[in-house]
Amino acid sequence: MLIRSVKIVDSQSPFHHQTKDVWIENGVIRQIGDALSVANTEVLTGSNWHLSPGWIDMRTTTGDPGLEHKEDLQSVCAAAAAGGFTEIAILPNTEPALDSKDTVGYVQRSTQQNLVQVHAIAAVTKQCEGKDFTEMIDLTHAGAVAFSDGTHPIQNTHIFLKSLQYLQPLNRVLINRAEDLQLTAYGQMNEGISSTLLGMRGMPAVAEEIMLMRDLKLLEYLNVTSELPILHFSTISTATSVQLIREAKAKGLPISCDVAAHQMVFDDAVLSGFDSNYKVNPPFRSAQDQAALWQGLADGTIDAVVSDHSPHEEEAKNLEFDLAAFGITGLETAFALLCTYGKDALSLSQTIDKITHAPRRILRLSDITIEEGNAANLTIFDPSQTWTFTKTRSKSKNSPFFGKTLTGKPLYVINRGLVGKCG
Amino acid sequence: MTQLSVRHLLGIKNLTETDIHAILDTATQFKEVINRPIKKVPSLRDVTIANVFFENSTRTRLSFELAEKRLSADVVNFSASGSSVKKGETLLDTVNNILAMKVDMVVMRHSSPGAPHYLAERIGANIINAGDGTHEHPTQALLDAFSIREKIGDLAGKKVAIIGDILHSRVALSNIFCLKKLGAEVRVCGPTTLIPKYIDALGVQVSHNVRETLEWCDVANVLRIQLERLQVKYFPSLREYSLYFGISKAMLDSLNKPIVLMHPGPINRGVELTSDAADSAHSIILNQVENGVATRMAVLYLLAQQ
Repeated sequence: MLIRSVKIVDSQSPFHHQTKDVWIENGVIRQIGDALSVANTEVLTGSNWHLSPGWIDMRTTTGDPGLEHKEDLQSVCAAAAAGGFTEIAILPNTEPALDSKDTVGYVQRSTQQNLVQVHAIAAVTKQCEGKDFTEMIDLTHAGAVAFSDGTHPIQNTHIFLKSLQYLQPLNRVLINRAEDLQLTAYGQMNEGISSTLLGMRGMPAVAEEIMLMRDLKLLEYLNVTSELPILHFSTISTATSVQLIREAKAKGLPISCDVAAHQMVFDDAVLSGFDSNYKVNPPFRSAQDQAALWQGLADGTIDAVVSDHSPHEEEAKNLEFDLAAFGITGLETAFALLCTYGKDALSLSQTIDKITHAPRRILRLSDITIEEGNAANLTIFDPSQTWTFTKTRSKSKNSPFFGKTLTGKPLYVINRGLVGKCG
Repeated sequence: MTQLSVRHLLGIKNLTETDIHAILDTATQFKEVINRPIKKVPSLRDVTIANVFFENSTRTRLSFELAEKRLSADVVNFSASGSSVKKGETLLDTVNNILAMKVDMVVMRHSSPGAPHYLAERIGANIINAGDGTHEHPTQALLDAFSIREKIGDLAGKKVAIIGDILHSRVALSNIFCLKKLGAEVRVCGPTTLIPKYIDALGVQVSHNVRETLEWCDVANVLRIQLERLQVKYFPSLREYSLYFGISKAMLDSLNKPIVLMHPGPINRGVELTSDAADSAHSIILNQVENGVATRMAVLYLLAQQ
């Protein structure tokens, strides 16, 4: 296959920012050059086409096994491909949880033929209940790329500290979402003026920040040095969190963090109509928090952007607000949200780094760069194309972006010798 | 004819000052009607109203039902304690089933903030919010405003204190919106843990001293301590609450001016109010109840014109 006149966006590639022809054969980049002529091969070309390493989402929730009515492994791969992702790392919050080599193996076996590579983030504690450790060595050997209780923040201080310690020789990152569940009990949205006006129980920013401080302090106590992050904060949402991480990184603590793409778009005023499609955890915060998140992305404090894809069936969402589930399906819109809302804050190269090189490094996956001889794990996209989000390949439809016109569209995904058309 | 700017009464937040005055003025006329020997008028003949209560209520439901009957509406009642979900049927299905029986208006109480807003976007009938969780209770705020106006005149410039559990109170929130729109000065007072952190953004003063608040105000609206809504602990005991935040007749008598005492009911006698305070000459608590019927008649009547 020959991709004609495509602008390469890959900060790690010698061809970064250059417009080239790229010849792919048998899943490998054969040649990169100008006006290549290759006989008997399919030619892909289009105006304003860009090419980057294949995108990876490091926070996807599926429902397989156990909650397949929300999302199964095939539908999540289809949604990921539609969104331009060639790899996803899935959270362990299934039923049963990804807490044994059985379930991790099931995920791998079910998806090995797929264009989209699925990586399992294994549970730190059995059933993600925060009580008993999983067999982390065994799970690492079974292929777990990282450890986390996913949507369940780790509350028990002892469990958190010992997990972090235990994972050290395994070269695996611990991923935690910082939230003190006692301070957010019964909470529905960010605590602020909006929650006061709506009479809804708030989830204060401080509930995230004190847990983040706890985790940082315990990491400091361990006194370990590492080139790669050993603790990763997922979906941070407040200005103070950004500042705490910025300071901790300056001190040299081996940490990283990400933010959900949708977090960059809304503040809590959007809840005024009680639309449960905007009900997410962490909740949409204030406009100041949102601005600090953009700043954190731009200056590198926030390493990665995730879709935080959280599929829910209509019955779990089309309800009274306080009964509705938290979450948005994000795979198909994540990139477009960054392009649509982040044009002034992030360069295209930065945006691509946050969904390619940075998450691969955090998850200890081999880096993908656009060079001759490397595996063809690629995404073709147009950062300026406007499109309307009207159909989804996910099994669930809980997204506030349905019907919205966005800028930035993935066009093709290429991986494992397969080519898929996006959207 | 007076027209409201809204199709539904979801909350005071959505009303204009003109809407509120229209409702209060119409309520004045209905109050005169319900004090006639023949209390009934034919205004809503052939209008069917469903009172759908997903949360326990005695006086609000009775008050709405009387208001509906005095307007000659046909009335059906549906009560289910606990949320509809526990019954295995969604709120939307429950209400659509009732509407399929040709109901024109729905009066709903529900424990979820925003439940009436959710319905208003999905069904055709006029919806009246009779209390949605800890969000709003608009007819209570309207009848409170009516009662204050009746007792001491125009609300503009009057000082109104709302005392008690502000954090969990839909009455407090609706009252704040209503009183502010009518130009009153509002102060909330209660234990620090029962005052929302961001309440001052609504333009109200905050105090934790009941005595000093009573000295300040023209009207004290005392809220019920809603023990049933406290899923987690906010204060040590009712005993301590009544000792330091309760109001007695002796306190009221010792003030340097007479004030008006209100309570949305039901009163926890001996907790937020002693019996002698609740039954004192300061109290207009039973007037509030009477005015509730007239105010709800006004709301139903005006919405039915839409």
